[in-house]
Amino acid sequence: MRAGKGEVVLSDRQLIARVAAEDEDAFRTLYERFSDRVFRYSFTLLRNQHLAEEVAQETMIAVWKSASRFAARSKVSTWIFGIARNKAFDLVRKEKRGERLPDGPLVAPDPAPGLLKQQVVAGAMAELPEPQREVVFLTFYEGLSYGEISAILGIPEGTVKSRMFHAKRKLAEALT
Amino acid sequence: MKDCSWTREMIPWYANGTLSPEETRDVTAHMAECQSCREELALTLRLKVGVEEELRTLPRLPERAWKRVEAEVKGRPIAQVDVGSFLLGFSLGAKLRRGTMPVRGDLKVLGRNVSLFNTERGGRSERQQ
Repeated sequence: MRAGKGEVVLSDRQLIARVAAEDEDAFRTLYERFSDRVFRYSFTLLRNQHLAEEVAQETMIAVWKSASRFAARSKVSTWIFGIARNKAFDLVRKEKRGERLPDGPLVAPDPAPGLLKQQVVAGAMAELPEPQREVVFLTFYEGLSYGEISAILGIPEGTVKSRMFHAKRKLAEALT
Repeated sequence: MKDCSWTREMIPWYANGTLSPEETRDVTAHMAECQSCREELALTLRLKVGVEEELRTLPRLPERAWKRVEAEVKGRPIAQVDVGSFLLGFSLGAKLRRGTMPVRGDLKVLGRNVSLFNTERGGRSERQQ
């Protein structure tokens, strides 16, 4: 793949291969490509900005340390989101004693009337049970297939579809 | 032709364009004949846009997050010994990096470093599949 002025844009797989060989520049590129996506996914799971930031850091450090163990049969994004999910739930287990979860919606309600629909969606998303919320995020925001989501979550494809069905019903109720 | 139940399950992934060519063909064929599934698709697309807009309002990961990650990538110094003077000296250092502890030794001559050994360079061969 090529970008402008002859600059070569490496695929995710090529980047991981270089990261496995301890190429720090490749890792920085991979970080730029994925860290924010991991942060948003973690926030979708945890509804806590600080913990989501911690999960994003832990995930990217794990990617650096274990790139050589990346199984080439899966997509890089599937692998990274899987790591993020495990990190998020590890953190939840550790934090439960401190009762830091959740800290409520990250974005304060905006009084502008034009944003009403968006607020409704935001509210409805926040109200979804976490298993449904993450399926909605991975489908509509990350654009993953149900097979990829099934792999990340470690659940049957039928369960992915069922969670989406229930999530959609609740979101639709909020919008109508 | 596939039924409404099957089609409705597939609609979210029809909307995000990740169905297989066969699944896409079957959903499209059903849509052509079924008004209620077309309405379901329209609803799903509205939800998709709403969710995308909501998630775009989230702040980005702060720049400061890189600092901690970078420290892990570069390795954490755990020991450093310098002996000698500006004219002639020796430096020995060790750090923690990716679960290993690479050690390097440098000869210092007139303020310039001459690498004598670096175990990190020799330890990178096990990688890639």
